[in-house]
Amino acid sequence: MKSKLFVLLVIASLMLAACGSKPAAQGSVEITFTMWGAPEELTVWQAVVDDFHKANPNITVKVDVSDWDSYWTKLNTLIAGGTPPDVFAMDAPLFLDWQSRGALLNLQPYIDANPGFLDGFYPQTLTAYKTADGYYGMPRDFQTIVLFYNKDMFDAAGVSYPTGDWTYDDLLAAAKKLTIDKDKDGKIDQYGIWSDTWDMELLWSEAIWSYGGDIISSDHTKTLIGEGGARDAWKFIDSLYKEGVMPTPTTSGEFGFDLFQSNMAAMTSIGHWAVPGYVGAKINFDVAPMPKGPAGQATSVNSAGFVISKDSKNADAAFEFIKFALSEAGQKRLAELGFAIPVLKSVAESDAYLKQLGTLNQQVFLDSIAFARTKPVFKGYEEWAGIVGDGLIPVFDGEAELNATLDELIAAADKVLAANK
Amino acid sequence: MDYGLKPLGREKLWLWLMLVPTIIGLAFGTIGSLLATLGLSFFDWDLINPPTWAGTENYAALFENKNYIEAFMNTLKFSALYVPGVVIISLLLAVLLNRKIRGVGIFRTIYFLPTVTSAVATALVWNMIYGKETGILNFMLETLGFAPICWLCTNNAMMSVVIVNIWGAIGEGMIIFLAGLTAIPRDYYEASSLDGANDFQQFFRITLPLVTPSIFFQTLMSAINAFQAYDYIYMLTRRGQGDSSVPVAVYSIYRNAFHFFRMGDASAQAIQLALLVAVFMAIMFWWERNYVVYE
Amino acid sequence: MSRSFYKTILDITAYAFLMIGALTMIIPFIWMISVSLRLPAEQFSRSIIPSPITFQNYFDLFEDLPNNAFLYLTYNSFKLSILAVVGQVLTCAMAAFVFAIVKFKGRDFLFALLVATLMIPPQVSLIPNFIIFKYLGLIGTQWPLILPAFWGGAFGTFLLRQYFLTIPRDLVDAARMDGASLFDIFWRVYMPLAKPAVAALSIFVFKDAWNDLLHPLVYLPTDMQKTTLTVGLAFFQQQLQAGGKFTVLMAGAFLSIVPLLIIFFIAQKQFIEGIALSGVKR
Repeated sequence: MKSKLFVLLVIASLMLAACGSKPAAQGSVEITFTMWGAPEELTVWQAVVDDFHKANPNITVKVDVSDWDSYWTKLNTLIAGGTPPDVFAMDAPLFLDWQSRGALLNLQPYIDANPGFLDGFYPQTLTAYKTADGYYGMPRDFQTIVLFYNKDMFDAAGVSYPTGDWTYDDLLAAAKKLTIDKDKDGKIDQYGIWSDTWDMELLWSEAIWSYGGDIISSDHTKTLIGEGGARDAWKFIDSLYKEGVMPTPTTSGEFGFDLFQSNMAAMTSIGHWAVPGYVGAKINFDVAPMPKGPAGQATSVNSAGFVISKDSKNADAAFEFIKFALSEAGQKRLAELGFAIPVLKSVAESDAYLKQLGTLNQQVFLDSIAFARTKPVFKGYEEWAGIVGDGLIPVFDGEAELNATLDELIAAADKVLAANK
Repeated sequence: MDYGLKPLGREKLWLWLMLVPTIIGLAFGTIGSLLATLGLSFFDWDLINPPTWAGTENYAALFENKNYIEAFMNTLKFSALYVPGVVIISLLLAVLLNRKIRGVGIFRTIYFLPTVTSAVATALVWNMIYGKETGILNFMLETLGFAPICWLCTNNAMMSVVIVNIWGAIGEGMIIFLAGLTAIPRDYYEASSLDGANDFQQFFRITLPLVTPSIFFQTLMSAINAFQAYDYIYMLTRRGQGDSSVPVAVYSIYRNAFHFFRMGDASAQAIQLALLVAVFMAIMFWWERNYVVYE
Repeated sequence: MSRSFYKTILDITAYAFLMIGALTMIIPFIWMISVSLRLPAEQFSRSIIPSPITFQNYFDLFEDLPNNAFLYLTYNSFKLSILAVVGQVLTCAMAAFVFAIVKFKGRDFLFALLVATLMIPPQVSLIPNFIIFKYLGLIGTQWPLILPAFWGGAFGTFLLRQYFLTIPRDLVDAARMDGASLFDIFWRVYMPLAKPAVAALSIFVFKDAWNDLLHPLVYLPTDMQKTTLTVGLAFFQQQLQAGGKFTVLMAGAFLSIVPLLIIFFIAQKQFIEGIALSGVKR
């Protein structure tokens, strides 16, 4: 009897915790901003915050940056404990999971109060955060996926650089020529291409769209990656592994997952976030648009964004900070970082972005928007992506058969969609 | 077991004073979270909104959740390989290192090294050692004329992970057993030597029975560690989206709680895991009552 | 004659096993150090001795941790780990003594309850504990990492109880004859005899506190002056791994275990030789 009472007490306290309140500060306010990122991102965000403090001396922003894995654990604990950060970073595909559960503040009133606020944005970056009753988040930067190539390796093999007219077959043909076992020890020293296939963003969503398939039905109830042209796209990706021109997932792991950066792969399909790393590794590279498939050309666009916690006591100040980070001044600072593409057209098309590295053809990232499709956003994304993306690893490691595995995974993925209805 | 000293008069106060920290810890920390977990297992909670009553739904869902069943079976498989491995190897090691031989201190130090370092740091180097193309393990195999093995591929990952976990744990087991072995009075051995018993007979007649308190402790602790094994498995088998090639029960609990907004399911899984540990503990304590030899 | 011959064979076999085993145990550490001293281009080389030997990876790591961050992180880790050892040894030893030696009503129930708490994995108790500390207003401070060390623990209590149980009971009776109180018996008879077990517990507690990633992560801001070395290095690790910078990664891994190794080598005299030589005096 006593223990039952205690259970009830604990539960009650947990519920109270979920709606606990803190006294509001007088005069000056302090807001917390939590995000995932690399150590150098912390430095740049600190600079953005310092600029913001100069313009708004009565608002203090505390930035807390963790690595990706730690970030979500920490965020969940803070929210469960009733002490959510005021502003936190959101990855677009996960947005609906948080928004639909009521964790986020509707930003529409703030946007309405700032007429013209969204005018300068790339519209493709906004779609992910829009719901029937307005915006619950703001993109802070975005990524399109393009084809990176190592000029030195292409020159050495006498292969001409990729162009916007390449097809996936051209890609495979070039990759074969660029796959070399230099010391003839039976182990490949240079792969034609490296890419991640556990996340759809880098290669397989692009391939599926170009082959005329799709990822998920528009009502988010059915996984479509086994239908129509999608199977052909999978066959193509599997052939990259079978032909040995792309390292298997387990081999990739051995070399740190990015063989383009370790100077071991001639091509990769990835977003702008990889550029600082490649520059740091002194790779002589440039970029081209993604290849074409039987159904045309396609790439993926995805954005990282800001959201405000529904329970934030300082929502006004929090929005002021978001507004500043999305202003020309804030976006220029972020462009210096070189990880992503600014969401403001005026900044993306200015020298701050286009000339940040001198030689790199930055325009390709912007031009790709013309045929880009938004990375899908739906409830249950993470679990679904785990089943599909990670589930195919045994196939690509050569331990399982493609079609049977795909059928099995699609059934499991549809179950996740049904559970997250 | 009927052991114990009767406290005299005012000493009852001392007794409880000495237990105060433990009782506070039980009340605030551990029992609190045990009860909270039990309570939450009957609710649906996404960590964002107040929990809603779910009855036994979360438990019913366990039996239909293929991913969880796979994870639970993996935990059992892992434990079946890990626990005997750790207990037997570390006991033999302790027996060998309890002899008066040269360099005993150095050996003990070396065997204990993995135990005092961090799993996160050593998992990184194991990742390199297990490399299919570049790892030294395959290099050694190839030098000896064997075919290389893809140690961290899905089919072999369980074996590789068990090896690393045992590697990381035998130092601790060795110390526990050494402490137990030194408590055995030397004259027992001297007496049996006079009776003409050899080393093996001595091991089975004297050492093994008298080291049972340590075996009891080490088996129980190894089993608990096995049921909750996480660090090395996470570091060595994590896949890109956060899935694992050797998903174990704790892994499933963690992902449901912190990534899939299902604290209720996570709690039910935790309770089921706890029941497994409880059953195992009950067996062990029954064994202790009947077979463990204390002074 | 045959007896000593047989002994020699046994010793040689034992040596052979111990040598092979010791090699297996130590190779990962040697490899870690070896890779950390290589040029990045040599990171997958198979020779154990790097040529040339470079310390650049360590300098690179320190460059990534500006403003003496490494010192702050190390200080925080040391502080928290040492407090954890003090708290655990004191509170667990007291409880273990009571559970092992004293007879009182509810003892077995209380002990079972304590051991039962081992059943819940730490990932699960994280959120309930977080809520408790939130009500105490301690989020963002180091208290949620310090206080639990002082409220006992199942592992330490269990470990010491097992050890206390092996100490001959006649020592207690003798002390009782001399009129020693309960606490005297604990402090003057049992604690001195339990030194090896206390040393073992200290090392385990120190190691666990040092390596704890989950709790500092959740309770402390990821501020290089406030958090621990484990959290600080984890922050860099994903990026280094993704960048294929294994030489720097290994330098970081080695630096994170160096303090543990130092503590271990200081404690090991007490710890390993203590167990071997003194054991339990009888």
